Amino acid sequence: MTLAADLRLVLGADRVLDHPLDLQIYAKDAGVTPGTVAAVVFPETTQEVAAVVRIAVVHEVPIVARGAGTGLSGGAVPTRPGLVVALTRLNQIWEVDEAAHTAWVGPGVINLELSQHTTPLGLHYAPDPSSQSACTIGGNVGTNAGGPHCLAEGSTVSHILAVELVTAGGDVLLLGGAAPDPIGLDLVGVVVGSEGTMGLVTKVLVKLTENAPEVRTLLLAFPTIEAAAETVSSVVAGGIVPAALELMDRPMIEAVENFKSCGFPLDAAAVLIAEVAGHPAAVEAEAQLVADAGAAAGATEIRIAATAAERDLIWLGRKSAFGAVAYAAPDYYLHDTVVPRTRLVEAMSGIYEIGERYGISMLNVFHAGDGNLHPLVAFDAKEPGMLEKVRAAADEMVKLSIEVGGALSGEHGIGLEKRDLMGEMFSAVDLDAQARLRDAFDPIGILNPDKVLPEGSRCFDFGLVANLDPESAA
Amino acid sequence: MTFAAIEEWQVSAPEGAPAGALVVAPPNLDAVARVLGWASEVGRPVLPWGGGTRMGPSGGVVPEVVVLTSQLTRVVDWQPDDLTLVVEAGALVDDVEAMLAERQQSAVLAERANGSTIGGMIASGASGYRRLRYGPTRDRILETVMASGDGRVFTSGGRVVKNVTGYDIPRLACGSLGSLGIIGQVCLKLWPVPESAATLDVTVDAFDGLYRPMALLETEDGAMAYLAGTAEEVAGQAAAVGAHAQPGLQWPMPLGGDVQIELRVPSPLTSAAVTQLRNAGATEFRAQHGIGLVAAEFDSWSSERLEELRTWAEGQGGAAVVLASPQSDIDRWGQAPGSVDLQRRVKAAFDPRRIMVPGRLPGGV
Repeated sequence: MTLAADLRLVLGADRVLDHPLDLQIYAKDAGVTPGTVAAVVFPETTQEVAAVVRIAVVHEVPIVARGAGTGLSGGAVPTRPGLVVALTRLNQIWEVDEAAHTAWVGPGVINLELSQHTTPLGLHYAPDPSSQSACTIGGNVGTNAGGPHCLAEGSTVSHILAVELVTAGGDVLLLGGAAPDPIGLDLVGVVVGSEGTMGLVTKVLVKLTENAPEVRTLLLAFPTIEAAAETVSSVVAGGIVPAALELMDRPMIEAVENFKSCGFPLDAAAVLIAEVAGHPAAVEAEAQLVADAGAAAGATEIRIAATAAERDLIWLGRKSAFGAVAYAAPDYYLHDTVVPRTRLVEAMSGIYEIGERYGISMLNVFHAGDGNLHPLVAFDAKEPGMLEKVRAAADEMVKLSIEVGGALSGEHGIGLEKRDLMGEMFSAVDLDAQARLRDAFDPIGILNPDKVLPEGSRCFDFGLVANLDPESAA
Repeated sequence: MTFAAIEEWQVSAPEGAPAGALVVAPPNLDAVARVLGWASEVGRPVLPWGGGTRMGPSGGVVPEVVVLTSQLTRVVDWQPDDLTLVVEAGALVDDVEAMLAERQQSAVLAERANGSTIGGMIASGASGYRRLRYGPTRDRILETVMASGDGRVFTSGGRVVKNVTGYDIPRLACGSLGSLGIIGQVCLKLWPVPESAATLDVTVDAFDGLYRPMALLETEDGAMAYLAGTAEEVAGQAAAVGAHAQPGLQWPMPLGGDVQIELRVPSPLTSAAVTQLRNAGATEFRAQHGIGLVAAEFDSWSSERLEELRTWAEGQGGAAVVLASPQSDIDRWGQAPGSVDLQRRVKAAFDPRRIMVPGRLPGGV
């Protein structure tokens, strides 16, 4: 029987897609690289996911897990005709434990909907990617997603206590648990961020965070991007870790204002959005510290949101950035690299230089507080040679980030887009260790192949005697 | 059979180390890797040794080689303005924290570390009481450089505070108890130390009224809440619960007896765990409310008591872990997790000849 026929036996006709037009829709994520899909399935239970995996194994078809498809690194794009397992229908919020501040949820639950669900309890799910109104918890687990508020609260991995995992063999395992420090190796920490290469996550135990009693959101305008970056460095060095520190440059401010009119100052070279949250007595002092740091760096305007509506307007501006770009240009390529916070100014000027040299139109909005850069290139892919130019500039920006001591990706993942740049950061021995770890989870190489690790990562076959000098062996 | 250089690295055994083993203190991580490569080749079980403070019962493992990290003590790179620190694994936690305190920073490792090393703290998966505020230690290990069980030196993670480049091996190393290899160097995320701190004498009932305390502890002497932040915030919170406040964070002395058991349960069951341990005859205990960890000390060993505690804790989805026991071959963990086969394969990925503390992890992994 064919793959699709076998799948239909388990899921029925309407939850298996194999019409070429349908397959085309699932051949891409929110990034720029398309792939090839053999079939798309929509399982609704853990058992169905396990059955689907076993069928794929029999047919030797690669398995690619998919959430909302908001990923930007090609993590959910099959490179060879693959089976896309859409986990969006596993979207139950199973149980919220108010006392423990935890919730068991399906991977298909939308990030923002989880926080909305727990708002009446005074709790929220802290990681808040810009795509939070669309992206799923399962996708967040896959990429170890971040967001503005991960500066103080940490990325997704710090908020995942346990996962139910369907393995490459179609077995169901529970990793981690509600009790602290589960015994044995921390496999949850490995699965989070593994981009579907270690199993399919079918249930997640998330940690919920107490809503802060008081929040202050500030908008600071600067005459230069360097002044804004300096403010970030001096706030971080000044003894507080704000809830969020986000930076936008002039092209991005203009795009956002054209799109949503949030009242951002159009004459500024950069704005910094800072948020401090916590006990009322602390928030006052910390907001002052941020304002003082901005003033010292030459801020031309410092606005402190006086009402919830003003705060929401500032965040609306920040979170519509990507929508604003989509409105202004047919295509965009969003980067994601990290640099040490002390090298922000230097990294930003390097990135502007690269953009100018390639003659590309670039906008910046990023998580400055943790050095997570997001240069965004707006372009028209129909223009001949344009995509190649954009990619070449991207490679240079990534290499620059590594040169100043940074990393390839802060929150979007490696996927396909950055796979071949892994060697910029890791040696062959380092990559071999990662490949061995992956093979421990997926010995048959069926889970999202061709992602994360470049080809040849397993090329090392060290003899154990390599470390021994035979002359000195006694 | 051995190799020439290893003789030079041989040292006398630290107190508490297993008798009869070859004890070496290699001068650097490459040398550590050579020792492990050799031990893999000849099939000799290895026990990594930091400060020897958190070794726990041996679980019947008889190491033939003990590798000390005592020569790996350098502070490699401290970037105060970036809140990151690169340090070698053999550095003492107390020394590192004292250095960081000069710039009002902390690695938020376990308090009162008493001779523990950075590497030992990470390998044992230990967190400080302040995990209630800052999360467990594993949230702050940004990069590791390790020697694998088969003698390869490899780097994972990166020296930035936010990073998803490659698999999170630093997190895997945390709590791995030396089963994968030896941690030689780490990059840690630091936190600024708040300007003001206080320790409040309270009752357990008052815990709920506090916003984001550093820690909520209960011992045989009573309950204490630990606050830190701005002076106004600390004073305001103390006044709101009407408690007597001592300045600074006054941590209890660590447990030190020969018989210690730790219950790990979902956090709302912390008080229930205290009751279980008291009923079992605990003389002293350290309960971390909001976390679900309760460590207790007993005057004497009883296997039946351990079994009873285990049955209860495992029934709550937790565990009863033996931290210290006069019976060296005691089962430290109880029921192994369902992922034990996967755990075995993950260990083998780094330690294919199974020389690194074989059997030390749950399920004899």
